[in-house]
Amino acid sequence: MPTARILRNTLITALVIAAFAVSYRVTEADFPRLFLDLPKGKELLTAFLTPDVFTREVETRTVSLVFPIPCGSAPTEESLPSEGPRLVPSVLCAEPLEKFTLEGYDLQPNSEVVIRWRLPDGRTMTAIRTQTDANGYFTYEVQARPIQSTVDGVASRLEVDTLTPVGELKPSQALKDVLDNMFVTIFMALLSTTLATVIAAPLSFFAASNITRKGCLGTTVYYLFRSFFNLMRSYDPLVMATVFGFWLSFGPFPGFLALTVVTIASLGKLFSEAVENIDPGPVEALQATGAPPLHTVRYGVVPQVVPDFISYIIYHWDINVRISTIIGFVGGGGIGYYLNLSINDFKWHQAGTAIWAIVIVVWAMDFLSSDIRKRLT
Amino acid sequence: MLKIQNLSKTYPNGTQALKNVSFDVQDGEFLVVIGLSGSGKSTLLRCINRLIEPTEGKIIWDNVDITAAPPAELRHIRRKIGMVFQQFNLVKRSSVMTNVLSGRLGYVNPWTSLLGIWSQEDRQRAIQALDRVGIADKAHSRADALSGGQQQRVGIARALMQDPKLILADEPVASLDPVLSHSILQYLEQLNKEGITVICSLHFLDLVHRYATRVVALKDGVKVFEGSAKEIDRAKFKEIYGEEAQEVRAASL
Repeated sequence: MPTARILRNTLITALVIAAFAVSYRVTEADFPRLFLDLPKGKELLTAFLTPDVFTREVETRTVSLVFPIPCGSAPTEESLPSEGPRLVPSVLCAEPLEKFTLEGYDLQPNSEVVIRWRLPDGRTMTAIRTQTDANGYFTYEVQARPIQSTVDGVASRLEVDTLTPVGELKPSQALKDVLDNMFVTIFMALLSTTLATVIAAPLSFFAASNITRKGCLGTTVYYLFRSFFNLMRSYDPLVMATVFGFWLSFGPFPGFLALTVVTIASLGKLFSEAVENIDPGPVEALQATGAPPLHTVRYGVVPQVVPDFISYIIYHWDINVRISTIIGFVGGGGIGYYLNLSINDFKWHQAGTAIWAIVIVVWAMDFLSSDIRKRLT
Repeated sequence: MLKIQNLSKTYPNGTQALKNVSFDVQDGEFLVVIGLSGSGKSTLLRCINRLIEPTEGKIIWDNVDITAAPPAELRHIRRKIGMVFQQFNLVKRSSVMTNVLSGRLGYVNPWTSLLGIWSQEDRQRAIQALDRVGIADKAHSRADALSGGQQQRVGIARALMQDPKLILADEPVASLDPVLSHSILQYLEQLNKEGITVICSLHFLDLVHRYATRVVALKDGVKVFEGSAKEIDRAKFKEIYGEEAQEVRAASL
């Protein structure tokens, strides 16, 4: 029936095209924007690529001068120094909203400069940050604002701080926080993997068909445990973490619990499959000696599955470090939580530190686990 | 005395592995079961210690009906029946010592043995068993570090730990280099001379002639011959193995 087949194939093709068209629309895919919005992304990427890792002690030196607004409201500087670190405005006073040029001479070379106003009441207003050149010179256009006006004959002052890094490089606060949180994550993953192993390892034998699936009772037990593992596995760690988070208020503990539950299910299934894949010969031999069933498992099955079990445990620790990062985003504590906070506070460099730490740890864990697993076989 | 009465086994997939097989085994015999692959030799041996549940028939050993024994009693009976396998069935990753000791699991305190603790007496017994098969020096090697012949000797040592009255040997030399066949069978022969009944399935007729005190032949699950090895002439041979069969000898050592 060629007509029927052509009709059927056309229909299937049309359905497939329709499905993709719908998916394209619901995801609001707009690939050109990837390039049009490149500048925004670039800023982010640059920040991520320059993580906040080290700081240095900063020496601050301040020079200042009186700057009355408007002119005549207070005495101006009588004379400007002609040498040493000094500020030279293009005018000695200004009307509100007037713009003038401020130059600095012989300041610390290649240093960050903070230009600010010290108001008559002592408060400060940072105007701008800039940078001195190799000769300690900078120039910047400043606007006089009404708020900076003279009050009761006391004029505002223009102050300039030069910030010079001195001394050794030190780990920054962000780096310390990232390391602390990374430890939380790694050990959260370690503890949840351990607890999950302790629970899943014995239970997995019940879900192995070659151990339990004998007789009516055994078959029931087998299906019970198998569906228990499958059911638990079908919940995503994120969903689990959210549930435990609402139950126990957010923090590392609910994250740890969520991870444990998911790991029990996953390890339980992997373990039971390892048990099912053993060589049945030794079990048969032990049954033939008249050994009790539990001993048949202890001497015939356990030695065969130990390398597989260890391999899966290490693999899962590796996975759990990754998952617990994500769980952190929903309040599970650790590095993910820190990353989430940094991003919400627009602290991109700090976020960059966290991202780099995650990349390094995940890479190291992956390398370590595959290396150990290779040695086991 | 072991009495096999009207034994039949039909697997769940419908294969009839044994059809109404009956014969007796006197204490102290070296009974060899022969037949083509798939003729039911393994099934027969495994029905005797009920690693495979027979469908019909009875197996009576020293007036005890093995086929009717409840689980606890069955384990008790199995302790006295050693078994040696074609594939050795050792736990490859465990030490030779642990493999041999595990033959004792039907006797020892269940709690301590579960923890892997063994009495000095049992360890001594294991070393003696290994010594009997000539590999006491391998006690602390991993089982899979041994050659096939050595692994089968560990298998025999494990059976010896049971202090057996009967040994079932399922193709004990079929996985070995033919030149090693005698070295293994001689150990079984030695045990047989010390009073242990041996029921052994074999492929090579020259080995049958050399070791068997009596022979049972199976073809498609039916017993087609019972008697001494000498009675197997050319006609009987063709009857057991089929028209196309040619006699092959294990290395004539």
